[in-house]
Formats: sequence, C-alpha cells, structure tokens
Amino acid sequence: MKPVECEFEAEVLAAALQSRWPGRVDDELRAHVAGCAICSDVIAIARAVDDAREEMRASASVPDSSRVWWLAQLRARREAVKAAGRPITAAQVIAFACAVGLLGACFGATSTWFQSALGRITSSVVRFEINAFLPSATALLAEHSALVIAMTALLFLVPAAVYLAILKD
Amino acid sequence: MSRDTTFNDIGRAQALDDAGVEFVMDEDAFRAFYERTARGLWAYLARVTGDRQLADDLLQETFYRFLRAAATHESETHRRNSLYRIATNLARDARRRSLTRIPSSSAGDDIERVPSGDHAGAAERKADFTRAMSHLNPRERAMLWLAYAEGASHREIADVLGLRPASLKPLLFRARRKLAELLGRAPEGSKS
Repeated sequence: MKPVECEFEAEVLAAALQSRWPGRVDDELRAHVAGCAICSDVIAIARAVDDAREEMRASASVPDSSRVWWLAQLRARREAVKAAGRPITAAQVIAFACAVGLLGACFGATSTWFQSALGRITSSVVRFEINAFLPSATALLAEHSALVIAMTALLFLVPAAVYLAILKD
Repeated sequence: MSRDTTFNDIGRAQALDDAGVEFVMDEDAFRAFYERTARGLWAYLARVTGDRQLADDLLQETFYRFLRAAATHESETHRRNSLYRIATNLARDARRRSLTRIPSSSAGDDIERVPSGDHAGAAERKADFTRAMSHLNPRERAMLWLAYAEGASHREIADVLGLRPASLKPLLFRARRKLAELLGRAPEGSKS
C-alpha cells in the first residue's frame, strides 16, 4: 500500500507557508524533498496556493464590518418580529375556524329546510335508492341555487383568504 | 389615514421591544473578529464555489449565522473553525441548489477574471492554478485551501468539513496528488 503521509510533511509545509523554502531550510530537508513524492507535492501545492491566496485576499472587496453588523442586527430583529407574530396568526386562524363552525352549527340547528333536506338525503342514503336521491338533490339545488352558489364560493374564498393572510404575515 | 391598532400590531410592537437580539459577541469583538477573518473567508468561499458573486453573498450569510448561533467558543481557533464550518455548509447548499443550472466544469471560470497587475508569467501561473482547481470537486478544493492557504491542521480540516480525522489523510493525499498532476508537477512514479 502506498504511503499517504510523510513524517517531514508538517515541517516542509511550515517552511513553504513561512516563505522559508527553499533558501532558508537545511540541506537535509531539501534532499528529502527531492526524493519524496509526498513532500514534493506539498511544496508544489503550497506555493501555488500561496500565490493564489495572496492575490485573492488583495482583490477581495469585503463589506465594512459595521455594515455587516448593522445588517445582521436588522435581520435578526425582523426575524424575531416574524417569529413573535406567528402564534398570533395561528390563534386568529383557529378563532376564525371556530366562529365559522359555530355559525354553521347555529344555521343547521335553526334552519328547517336544511334539516328536512338533510333528513331526505339521509333517508335516501340509508335506502340506497339512487333513483330517489338524485331527483331530491337536484330539486334542492334548484330551489336554493343562490344559496348553494354563495356557500360554494365561501367554501373556496375562506381558505384562500386565510392562506393570503398567513402569507402576508 | 389613521388605522385601528390590531392584536397583530400590539404583538409586533411588543416583539420589537423584546427583540433584544442575542448575538454571540458584542459589536467591538465582532468587528475585530471580522477584520481578522473576512478576507480569508471570502477567498475560501470564492475558491470553493468558483464564483465571486456567490462568495460575496455567502460571506454575509456566514457571519450572520455565526452571530446568531448560540454557541460559545473556547478559543479563537475554535471560533474560526466554527465560522468556516458554517461557510462550508452554505457553499455546499448553494452548490446543491445550483447543480441543475451551472455545469460543474464551469466552476472556477469566474475566479479567472480576477484583475491582476502581475506580469504575464504570474498571470499564466494563476490561470493554470485556477483551471486545475476547477477540475477538483468542492470538497477537494476546500480541503486543499484549508490546508495550504489557511494552514489548518488535519483535525481542524476534518472538523470544518464534517469528516472523520482518520479519513482525512487519504482524501487529502488524493486531492493533493490530483492537483499536482493537473499542475503538471511531480508526475506519478517519478519519485520513491
């Protein structure tokens, strides 16, 4: 198995990173590098990377530290506000759903035509008479078409409104 | 036009007052740390992603996440490693997101447009290096940059890249060999 490290690697790398290579290292180390594939690679790569690093650091145009700090503060505050608003929105959605449910229950309990229609539908379902059910349902829809349209619209509009409200928050 | 105050407004106002933004360090400490690390980190990000524009964005995001992380750092090295770990993860996420848009072979092309006042030989060496680096995968680029530009130890590199220290040595060896071959130096088998 080929060796993947050399005992002189750290020393060679330190010499390269501290710009001591090749002039300010002892002959023994130079001789070792000449015969060691790993250390030769280390020198070659370290010098190439060092050139690139110097150039990249010099050409880097990083934003001012006070600007980065200020933006971070701003963003953190915004996120804190958003996080604080989330339970409030959830509570509003739940309250709205409860109100709609309560309204529906009141409507169901007080509306005679709704109860009779429900009774007719239930009896149709129990008897499994599709021939009796369909005309009954059609007659009901035709009789209260405006209400049916309004309720259908409400059925789609309410979730859409809730979704938009959450999205806005 | 006036508007009634709603429950949401009250909640938000309260949250604004309470938003005592908790950062891991105060402004003076942050500014000093930023001055010490920002350029090096930007160079790392630019080299790993191969995109200067992306490096600009990721730099700010890295420092923000670093500030927001509720972590205590026992030393400057530990703090620096934490910063580089965040940057590495962000670069990885950015690469995953853009994988379908940017062909991997183009990574590094943007870096070659670095304005330079160097003479032709140095510019050519730089272009060769950039080209060679662009043939490595992001992890190999990160590994080599941390080892040879930042002088990080094997343990630190493993920590930053989320690798086991034991598996780093062969990976680093392979990455180094690959780059050396791409640079046309020390051909395989020429030495013992």
